[in-house]
Amino acid sequence: MHALIQGLILGVLTAGVYALMASGQTLIFGIMKVVNLAQGALVILGAYLSYQLFTSFGIDPFLAIPITTVMMFGVGMVIELVFLRPLRREDRSELSLLVTFAIALLLEGIMSVSWSTSVRSINTSYANSSWTVFGYQVTLVRLWAFLLSLAALGMLFLLLNRTRFGRAVRASVQNPESARLLGVESSRVSAIGFGIGAATAAAAGSVYGLLYPFNSGSHYDLISRLLSIVLLGGLGSIGGAVVGALVVSVSSAVVAATVSPIWSEMTFFVILLLVLLVRPRGLFGTTARGAI
Amino acid sequence: MTHHNRLRNVARVLATATALVGLAAGCASNASKSGSSSSSPATTSAPLVIGASVSLTGDFSDSGKAIQRGYQLWADTVNAKGGILRRKVQVKIVDDASSPTQVVTNYQNLINKDHVDLTFGPFSTLLTIPASQVAARYHYAFLAPAGGGPKVFEQNLTNFFFVQPAPTTQAGDVFAQYVLSLPAADRPKTAAYAELDDPFSAPIAENIRTKLEAAGIKTVYKQVYPSETQDLSPVMAAIVAKHPDVIIGGTQSEDAYAQVKSLVQLKFNPKMMFQSNGANSPLEFPSKVGANNTAGIMSSADWFPGSTAAGSAAFTSVYTAKYGGTAQQIDDSTAEAYAVGQLVEAVAAKTGKIDNATIISSLHSGSWPTLLGDLAWSSNGAPTGEFNLVQWQGGKLLPVYPSTIAQATPLSVKPNWGG
Repeated sequence: MHALIQGLILGVLTAGVYALMASGQTLIFGIMKVVNLAQGALVILGAYLSYQLFTSFGIDPFLAIPITTVMMFGVGMVIELVFLRPLRREDRSELSLLVTFAIALLLEGIMSVSWSTSVRSINTSYANSSWTVFGYQVTLVRLWAFLLSLAALGMLFLLLNRTRFGRAVRASVQNPESARLLGVESSRVSAIGFGIGAATAAAAGSVYGLLYPFNSGSHYDLISRLLSIVLLGGLGSIGGAVVGALVVSVSSAVVAATVSPIWSEMTFFVILLLVLLVRPRGLFGTTARGAI
Repeated sequence: MTHHNRLRNVARVLATATALVGLAAGCASNASKSGSSSSSPATTSAPLVIGASVSLTGDFSDSGKAIQRGYQLWADTVNAKGGILRRKVQVKIVDDASSPTQVVTNYQNLINKDHVDLTFGPFSTLLTIPASQVAARYHYAFLAPAGGGPKVFEQNLTNFFFVQPAPTTQAGDVFAQYVLSLPAADRPKTAAYAELDDPFSAPIAENIRTKLEAAGIKTVYKQVYPSETQDLSPVMAAIVAKHPDVIIGGTQSEDAYAQVKSLVQLKFNPKMMFQSNGANSPLEFPSKVGANNTAGIMSSADWFPGSTAAGSAAFTSVYTAKYGGTAQQIDDSTAEAYAVGQLVEAVAAKTGKIDNATIISSLHSGSWPTLLGDLAWSSNGAPTGEFNLVQWQGGKLLPVYPSTIAQATPLSVKPNWGG
């Protein structure tokens, strides 16, 4: 029972980080209908930037988030302008798979050259600290990461639902032609949307670097997990990404702690398969456009 | 006309066949010449060219570069003494990009195109298996500083020598021996095993488990985790719930760091802890888990700073002179690659010859001094010695068992985290 409850705590806290990563992924899909296979590589790039700021200037990874998100927002906009915008709208969904995979490989190469392939980790003074609550350990880094992710997701929600830009995004998602007729520049929305997706990857990357050792090749495992989360939650749904992340993290942690780590990944994929059999669009995916 | 054409065709076929036979004979002669060339100091002063395919890019590039440093350092050292049998040593290194396909092409080229005198091995079992087969085809001795997985020895190649004290899967046996050497009252009563699912890590832990269970040490947890497992906290939480006396990690690197970090976060300190890999990296381990969390953790190693084995002091001093840093920062792989060169040097000194056949026959008899200790091999190239048990004490990784090489007394009870 102790292992079960400890696994549950670990799973819930870790889910926040994955929700943040997956929210960027699903936002980009919602706006552009682009399945961004480079999201994992963007997270790792965010982790490296945070690592560099910590080792070179002593900036705490949590405090570095405003810096890395701005930098990565710029990187995301450049990617959209240079690699995705030239794609014809009608071919974009299919071709974007190849293009974003190529971007992931390009980023991996740049990171390998810049930081080598050695495994890095961000070891702050509080990296291994934890609080004992009723005999269970609540890791400080995971708790802060969870709270940070909640805050970031809340800001994203407010951005999409309470701002002029958010209305433009939702209008573009629901009906791009009508939005354009009403003066919404869909290309600008796409660039900013991709930038925001990359910025969420930066925030998640800072936390990821605190939790796990990483190198330039870490994005392969990450992207398969992120795709599973957004598929489970429903492509284009931020709420779905949060629920998907919870299901992935909690099921993995609980099964690893109580049954076997071999079965933990398998269990999640069984859940994913069953959900997709019943609801092919995922838990919160809709047939109509506009499900951000 | 028809008769003329037929004669011309026959002549063409004969000419082509003669050319092919000639070409084949030439190739065979070349290959055979390079594979078994016998060069004595009296007959040649041409450089001794040694070819090696090393992973300078790709997944194994860090270890590949460490091996490259070892080969080059040995060549520089031996050349400073006038070379081997008065022949200067040239090391020709080509990059295999960590690819088992490229490594085959590289050794084919080194042997058939560059006609190197000797070949040294690449990094990893994955690359050593195909590379050693190429070398065997051309009767080259194949001395490999890495790649000691079981499948390498299953090939039963007589030209192959794994230049470490024991096959990789036996690296943890020394820990079991140490535990069983303790008085019964001091031995751990329960053990937990968390093993990475790869050809090296899990078998090392399993070998330990077999020995400890036979001695009555109860297994309270045993699980294998996939290599893609990012988060080991749930696995360690399950171990913590069992309160074992000793935790044995069949680990590589990242998972070793993750195990320690998780245990610190879960505030569980076992009486003893052994990790097959990761904890034996003097440079990486403290920076990844926090230097104050290393105390008491055990691992195994073949070379260690301050070793009194043959040539170790000279190796350490030339390494630090050339690359800077301290002895603690030297990668094991560099020492293992250097030992490969030492063996060739020792054979030449003992026999006065430096050809492949002599190297193969010589290394199959007796034991040979290197900075990894005295090495000897069985017929399939598996070394017959033992690794050393090392333990983190006072921020340093020190050899603690067996007593013949120990620089400190082993701590049988691990200090608490942060201690």
